[in-house]
This record gives sequence, structure tokens and C-alpha cells, in this order.
Amino acid sequence: MNISINFLKRYVDLPSDLSYEQLSYDLTMRTVEVEEFIRTADKFHDIVVGEIKEIKPHPNADALKICMTDVGEDEIKQIVCGGSNLVEGHKVCVSKPGAEVVWHGEGEPVLIKETKLRGEKSYGMICAPAEVFLGDLISTKEEREIVDFTELGIECEAGQCVAEVMGLDDVILVVDNKSLSNRPDLWGHYGVAREIAAIYKIPLKELSSELPKGLPEYPVTIEEPERCNRFTATKIDNVCVKESPAWMKTLITNAGMRPINALVDITNFVLLAVGAPQHAYDSTHVDGEEIIVRLAEDGEKLLLLDEKDLDLTHDHLVICDSKKPLNLAGIKGGKDDSVLDSTNSVILECAVFTAPGIRRTTAYFNEKTDSALRYEKGIDTQRADLGVSMALSLFKEIYPECVFSAFTDNYPVKTENAVIDITQEFLDTRLGEVIERSEIEDILTRLGYEVSFADGTYHCIVPTWRSTGDVSIHDDILGDIARLIGYEYFKKQPLPVSFEHSVNQVGTDLARRLKEYLAFRCGMNEIFTYPWIDEKFISAAGIDTESCVKLATPPAPELGCLRASLIPGMLESIDKNSRYFEDFAIFEAAQVFEKGEYSPSSPDEVLPVHKNMLTGAFAGKDAKELFYKVKGVIEGMAGYCHFKPFTFKQKAKPSWADEKVWLNIMEGGRIAGSIGLVSVQALSASGIKLMSAAAFEIDTAVIEPYPSRTNEFKHLPQYPLVEQDLSLLVDEAVTWAEIAEAIKFMVKELKFVEEYRGKQIPAGKKSITLSLKIGNDDSTMTSKQIDKKMNGIIKVLEKKCGAQLR
Amino acid sequence: MLDRLEKVREEGFLRIAEAADRDALEAVRKELTGKKSALQEVLKSLGGLEPEMRKSVGMKSNEVKNMFAEKIQARADELIASASAAEGEIDLTLPGIQVSEGALHPITQMCYDLNDAFRSLGFEIYSEDDISSEKFAFDNLNFAADHPARASMDTYWLEGTEDKRGNERLCLRPHLTGGSVRYLLEHGAPARFVYPGRVYRNETTDARHERAFFQYEALIVDKDISFSSGRVMIETILEKVFGRKVNVRMREGFFPFTEPGYEIDMECLLCGGKGCKACNHAGWIEVMPGGVIHPNVLRAANLDPDVWTGFYTNIGLDRMVMMRYGVDDVRLFHSADLRFLKQFK
Repeated sequence: MNISINFLKRYVDLPSDLSYEQLSYDLTMRTVEVEEFIRTADKFHDIVVGEIKEIKPHPNADALKICMTDVGEDEIKQIVCGGSNLVEGHKVCVSKPGAEVVWHGEGEPVLIKETKLRGEKSYGMICAPAEVFLGDLISTKEEREIVDFTELGIECEAGQCVAEVMGLDDVILVVDNKSLSNRPDLWGHYGVAREIAAIYKIPLKELSSELPKGLPEYPVTIEEPERCNRFTATKIDNVCVKESPAWMKTLITNAGMRPINALVDITNFVLLAVGAPQHAYDSTHVDGEEIIVRLAEDGEKLLLLDEKDLDLTHDHLVICDSKKPLNLAGIKGGKDDSVLDSTNSVILECAVFTAPGIRRTTAYFNEKTDSALRYEKGIDTQRADLGVSMALSLFKEIYPECVFSAFTDNYPVKTENAVIDITQEFLDTRLGEVIERSEIEDILTRLGYEVSFADGTYHCIVPTWRSTGDVSIHDDILGDIARLIGYEYFKKQPLPVSFEHSVNQVGTDLARRLKEYLAFRCGMNEIFTYPWIDEKFISAAGIDTESCVKLATPPAPELGCLRASLIPGMLESIDKNSRYFEDFAIFEAAQVFEKGEYSPSSPDEVLPVHKNMLTGAFAGKDAKELFYKVKGVIEGMAGYCHFKPFTFKQKAKPSWADEKVWLNIMEGGRIAGSIGLVSVQALSASGIKLMSAAAFEIDTAVIEPYPSRTNEFKHLPQYPLVEQDLSLLVDEAVTWAEIAEAIKFMVKELKFVEEYRGKQIPAGKKSITLSLKIGNDDSTMTSKQIDKKMNGIIKVLEKKCGAQLR
Repeated sequence: MLDRLEKVREEGFLRIAEAADRDALEAVRKELTGKKSALQEVLKSLGGLEPEMRKSVGMKSNEVKNMFAEKIQARADELIASASAAEGEIDLTLPGIQVSEGALHPITQMCYDLNDAFRSLGFEIYSEDDISSEKFAFDNLNFAADHPARASMDTYWLEGTEDKRGNERLCLRPHLTGGSVRYLLEHGAPARFVYPGRVYRNETTDARHERAFFQYEALIVDKDISFSSGRVMIETILEKVFGRKVNVRMREGFFPFTEPGYEIDMECLLCGGKGCKACNHAGWIEVMPGGVIHPNVLRAANLDPDVWTGFYTNIGLDRMVMMRYGVDDVRLFHSADLRFLKQFK
């Protein structure tokens, strides 16, 4: 919404020393954010009044004239002009060098320079209305007509700024409509003026709410009083379509609407002034001389002013005559029966429609009109009084000869004042300091409350314009008081302290340790992906998209499935990053969803099953190495993150994993997740080329963290251990686990060093190098003892694993 | 003979001084005091000398031997003091061997920074699930029945539930605030907790708008407290994020779940409040909404609004991270692009 300062000045005298910066700031802090303020005169720089002293023919062009013009400077300027209505001695609009005008009223502004036109010097430009932003205010009969202030009867002097002459020296405060959603009273300048009056403690001018008396009734029937709380109709004869006075056109323009003709402009002016939407019907088009407010029949049609042809349904409220709909109630008029060029008598509607119906209908037809925007915020019925009174006085001013020939006020539902008690104690506590009673009463009264005080309680009668939902509880009044005092004036208060116990959250700590372990110990990068995921990657991971929870209105058709696993996101991320990196490691911790039943807060609320998954992947060239890297990450996880170590088993192959290379991660008897190489199939379906990947996924809910760090301590050996390396030749089928199992009882420590296959190794065999430590508990080993122990170990390996020493 | 010894000493000293490293010095030591050294030869020839002479040559020999030992030790000390552990030439400008380069997402980093700050103030950390219902996302929070945020243009409803109501209409949570009622239903009051998380809005995306983004919300519920205590939460957040005190202002704002509600602006850090392009010449940047918890929300959490009150503060983590680093496209956070993520250690 654009708030015009000149418009506001009709209702409140702004303090003379108040800057617009300060006004914007104060409104922002106390009422609503002012996004910017615009000085309308700015675009009129170097556009001034010129007086044509002499008109001479142009020697080289019949259509052009040379105008010797006084622009308020020392010398008379020569300006070449093609205007069709140039008259000597008349005052016109001149753009001097440096001015910016819009050529023929279209496109971007162009900078005016001193130039030559067909060989004749031209100082500047004598302009048509549209060229200097006056198209809406000054109408022309033909294209080449220039602005003629003398002809328009506008008094001015040569050299005077045109903005000033036209009353365009205004300042516009720009406010985002969204930030006014909760304040229906601010949707008119009078409401904003009331806030300003309250902020600066200055008087607010009173508006008349007088309705016509003693006139014949105009028949109005309201069939839906719940949707139309009030309908006033005034028949006004002896009017015509003509231009509005300049002051009104200017204010309407500055407030962001376009002047149309006086009949329509009056309704728009009232809307901008008090926020009461109105509509004027050509009374000769109202069949049967009666108005009926009813629901449309299914299939009924209405052609709107914007040429939109509506198919109405039974949920749409329409204003009808005895035969047909005339108007989509509170939203937009019909084309056939609103003000026409020939109109000489109107029915002026000032009605109050309730918000929910307006919102539904507006959304249904996508008609966000100025009127609908106001109704959908909830308007009090009393506002129609101001609306009618203001409109009729404007009619008298603009059409002195007009006649009010009939009036009806059909008023089935009246907005009741909300009544709220608020105690001094409540205010003192919640505000954090004691505010004087007189101060509180003053603030509330200026905002329109009626306040009385007894027994420590303020009894507040809320003004009707705040009683349509905006103010309904004592907290709302607290808010009004706090904001008008200014939040910046309240002292900072310490936080209340109630340390009953320390904050100890093992689950939260675990989640963080897991992430930090992967990032800092394992060198992986954390990524985020969206919860909706391209079906291509879901299928690539071998997951059935039918099993996924889905969005009703997904961001894109292929993004309808919510993730049931983080693996598809991993695949997509590997694909993206493979363009820039040869090897990398990534992980993500997020929730995934499965069809099922889960009630975190109340049994009535049944959500899909959520799982907190932790998934990671290593991508690179050497598949086996990648697999062992991932395995190492999972093996090390328990120690660094403080929970019981996992074991591995092959129980259920994950859908994304390689045929051979996969393991389930076991927590006790439960499957906590999996590791494995990403299958060739999954890589290929994801478009990942020339790269392998190994991945892990863990359901972190399965992990039970230790209540604190539980790394065990072992006594240091008292006697030195002896370290020996062995290289063994074994059958391919012999596993490390078997080797380790065979000798673990004979050694103090056992480490895998390397596995080797190559030229020196016979087919079907592999070489395993291991490193072990042996020692006595009560003495240093002698070389004899060492030999004996090593021979024993080698024999056991021969016997149990068929191993030969290399 | 004595002259010869003197010459051996002189030459020996020279050789010791010339030894360039510890190996060379060891070789010199062997040469000067070993079995085949000139000194040894002199000693071997002692037997053939006059007793007088034998005595003085013997003494002189021992003297020279001791002098050699001292000189060698001194030279050895010198060499150790000036020795380098690295053999040969070394280019000190070559880069060091890089440490493991993994990192947390910049939003996680921000979130953990804030968690640390709030835990030091005794706040608990809570997390709500991603999928919620209309009941918790809107009804409990005092959103009007036909509030536009409930429409599918704004919220991602789940297929098959979009035409239902309340508990049965499910969505990806559009904000974190619904989680506050879940926490309060479970734990009651008084309460002091933060609940970071990702939220979802059906929006058209561009450099400043995302469909999935992160918020960080804090709530205190207690008796007899004033909204001006809420400022401590706000200042904690900003000081942690920017590493110094940041000027803030509270001004009028409106949210269905607060009454009164306020917007919190911080002084623009680029221009120091003077006004610049980044702050739209206002000198202030809107950073977080907040407000006193609405009585209807307390009722939804089974708390008596006449007894309990409290206040929210909610901060957009994406926005904070963007301001912290000067990131200019919010979509980078969900891009999984390592060229971006590897910049944040």
C-alpha cells in the first residue's frame, strides 16, 4: 500500500519539525514497517512551467514551430516543438536539459539535452502530459497536444516546478501489504492518521458519519446476512461521467490507483480514505429497481469489468437485480451494469461483506482487487457510515446539481465492540516495568479504546475497527501499549534462572559426535539434499517408488517421492561431484520416511514412520580400497562416538549394494544398517561413469550411546613384548577371520598388514602378511621361548588354515 | 721428539677444526688418537728413549691426547649446535602435507555454535520430526482456519491427506514452531529449549528463496516474566554468530502464534548502520521474528495462559550463514557441491 503524506494531512496536522525519515522510522517501530519513502517531486526535476512569448515558423519543417519561451531564467529560450495546440502567451510544461521524460509516454525515461532539430537550436522540450507523468491527470484529445496550463485554468508562473503546480510534491510511504494483514483498520489513510496521532500525541480530525435522512427506500434484500452484514444503497440522480477535480486525481494517483472518471474516482477515494469499499451501478441497468444480495446459481454467468467471464457457483455471493447478477460481491463490478459513458444516475453501494467468503471467492477466481484485499481482512460494519457520509459529501462537492433520491440501510449484523479487562498487575509483570495509569489510558484512548479503571483493572471497550478479530484478548492490548511506548524503550531483563538439573542429552551428543567423527576423523564432507528426490535415483538405488510417501503438489513432477533412504541422494551427489573430483567422501544425516504409523505427540495424530539415517559414501577408482575405507569408518565409529562396537554379518542385502561386496552392520542381534560397494547397476542407472563408490547407511536410533565416555583402560605390559611379522601362503578360500580366530589366544596383539596376489604366488593362493606381538606376563621372553612360541603359532596356522610360511 | 709432538698437535688441531660434520670428526678422531695415529707411533717409540726424555715425551703425549679429546668434544658440540636434521637442500615454500579435509556443512557449524551458546545458558536441545500435521503446524499455533499459509501454494501436503483436516492432514513442516507444542506437551513447563531444523515451503526458488531451509528457534516458558527478557536470547544468538556485540532493535511485528509479536532488526554490519545497498539504505536488517507466546498456543500445550508465559525467537540459519560468509545464493546449501562445501572448515 502506498501512503500519501498529502492524503494524511487531510486528517492530521503533522508536527512541523517532523522529517519523513523520522516518520518512517516511528511507524516502522510502532505500527508497520515502512519499506521506503518516495518523493514524488523527484522525477519532476528540471520540468518547469514555460510561458510562450512568441511563435515563429520553422524554416525547414511545416509541422514544427519555434517557440521563444520564458522558463524563468535570465534569457528567453528557443524551443522547437511540434505541438498542435501552441498558443502565444500561454503557459506550458517545459523539460529543461537534465530532465528525464518518457518519449510519447512509453518506455524508459530519456535524458533531455540541448540539441538542434532540423537545423534549429532547441533548448529543451515542450511536453505532452504523458511525457511528463501527467497522463492520468491531464487528458488530451489528440496525440500531439501539449500541456496547456492556461487552457486548464491552472495558475502558475514561468520557472515554477511542475510537481508543485500539480500538487505532486508529495511523499509516499511504501508499505508491504502482507505486513498489514492483521490490521484491517490501516487499509485507509484515516486509520494510518489515527496511528500517527497516537504516536505523536496530536489531534486526529473527526469524520462525519451522518447518513441521509427522510429519503424514500430503495429496495434491498439480503438473503445471506452471514456473508453480507450490511448493505447501504443510495440513489443519486443528475450526475454524469466527467473528470474529477485535479486535487482528487492527484491524491488517487499518489496513493497508487488510477483516476478514471469522477463517479468511479469518488468510490476509490473513499476506499483509500477510510478503507470502505464502494461500488456504483448505473441505476437504469438495475432491472426491477431492486437489489438482491444472494448466492449465485450454479452455472450463472457474470462478465466482469476486466472482461473476465465468470462461471459462478453456489458458493459465490453476487449483487443482483431482479433478473441477473450485477457484481461479484465485494470483489469486482460487472461490465454491463457499472458506470458507463452514458450514466446519469447511479446506485451507490457501500456494504460490508465478511472475510471468509471473500477470501474463498477471490482465490477461486484469482481476483485480488483493492476492495477484496480490504474485505478479506475483516471490516467493521460501522465503517460504512464513514464511507457513505464521505462519498455523499464528495458527490455534493463535485456534482452540486446532483440529487439523492433514495436511500436504504439494510443492516442485519452489527459489529460488536470487543470488551476486555486487563489488570495492572498483568501489565506490570509482562511489560517488566510499571507504566503510569495516565499513560496507559492516554495511549489506549488515542487508539480509540474507551477505558475505565477500577480495582486494579482496566475495563477496555475496543473500537469496532479493531474488533473484527484483531483485538480479542488482553495480550493484544498489552501489545498495543508496548508498541506505542516503543519496544526500544524497555530495559533488557535477565533471563529467569531455574537450574534444577544440568542439561545432559546423550542422544543429542551422539548425533553430533557421529557427524564430527565422520568429518574430522574420517575426512568426509557433510552434504544436504532435499527430502524429495528424483525418481531416477530412487529407482537406481533399487527402491520401489510406490512404497514411498508422496507429496500432493511436488516441486516438479519427477520430485513427488519423499526419500525412504539417503542412498538416492548420495547417488545424485556422487554424480554431480564426479565432474570436478576424482575421489571424495560425503555423508548426510537426515530423516527418511516410510509408510506406516507413528504418533510422536498424541494418538490422534498418525504420521508416517520417520527414521534418523546416517549415510555416507566414498567415491573413487579402486573399488576394494573404497570398501575397506568404509568398513574402517564403521569399525572406528563406536570407539570415537562412545557406544558398543558393531559387528558385521551378511543377513539381508541392501537393494543398492553389489552382489558380493556387502555386509550388514549389526547392533546386538539387530540390523543397524549396511555397508557395501554400490552396485554397478545402481551406478550405471545414476549416470555415474568411470567411478566406483562404497557406501554405508545406519539407522542411528538403533545405537545406544554410553552414558559417558567408556574407553577401557588396560595396564601397560610390565615386560617387553616381541614383535614378529609373518608372511603366509594360504588358499583363496581362507579368510582373515579364520586366521585371526586360530591364533588370537596365543598372541598379545595381532594386526593385519597386507594381502598380496602376484607372480610369485601360485594360482588359487594368496599371501597374507600379519604382525603379532607375544610376551610373558612375568618375565622377559628368552630367545628360546620366542622360537618355541613362534613355531607353535606357525603349526597352528598350518593345521587350522593350511598356511605355509613364505 | 717434542718438536714432532708439537707438530702433531698443531696439525691435529687444524684437522679437528676442518671437520665439516660429525662423521668427518669421527674419522679425524680415529686418525689422531687411533692405533695407527702419529701419537700412538710416538708412544710406541718411547721405549727407545732416554729416561728423562721418555718422561717428558710421555707427559707431552698424554697432554696432546687430552687436548685432542677436548678439542674434538668442543668441535662435536659446535657441530651439533649448528646441525640440521634434514639432509641436503629443502624448499620451505612447498605446501605442507594436508590434514584430512572433511568438514561439517556450514549450516551445521552455525547450528552447533548456537547450540553451545544456548547450552551454556541452560537450554535443552530438542528436535521435531520433519513430517507434521495441520493440527500441530497450524491449528495449535492460532492460525486462522483460512489462513493462506495452509494452502497448497504455501505448504507441502502429503498425497492422500491434502483434503483432510487437522490431525489427518499431513505436511512437511512449514516452520519449527509446531515443535514447541510437542515439547511442552511432553515436558510441561517451565521450559527452556532450542529446536533447530529444516523446514519446507512451496515456493519458487531463486538466489534468495528456497523450498527447504533451516531455522533455529528458541523458547522460554515460565511464570511472571517480561518479554524484555527475550532480548538476552536475541543477543546471545547474534553475538555467537558474529563474534561481537551487535546492536539490535525490536519493533512491532505480527505472527499468529505470538501476542505481542515483534521483528528484530540488527544494525547492518557492512555500513555500521549508516545505510548501504545491502540494507536497502535502512541501516538495519531484519533478522528474526519473535514474540510472546500466544495464549491459544499455551492452551494447545495444556498450559494455563493465566499462569504461564514465554517468548519465541526464530532465526533463519541460511540467512545467518549467508551473512557470515557473504554467500549470495541460498540454493548452494542443498547443492551438495563439494566445490562450495570444502570452503567451510
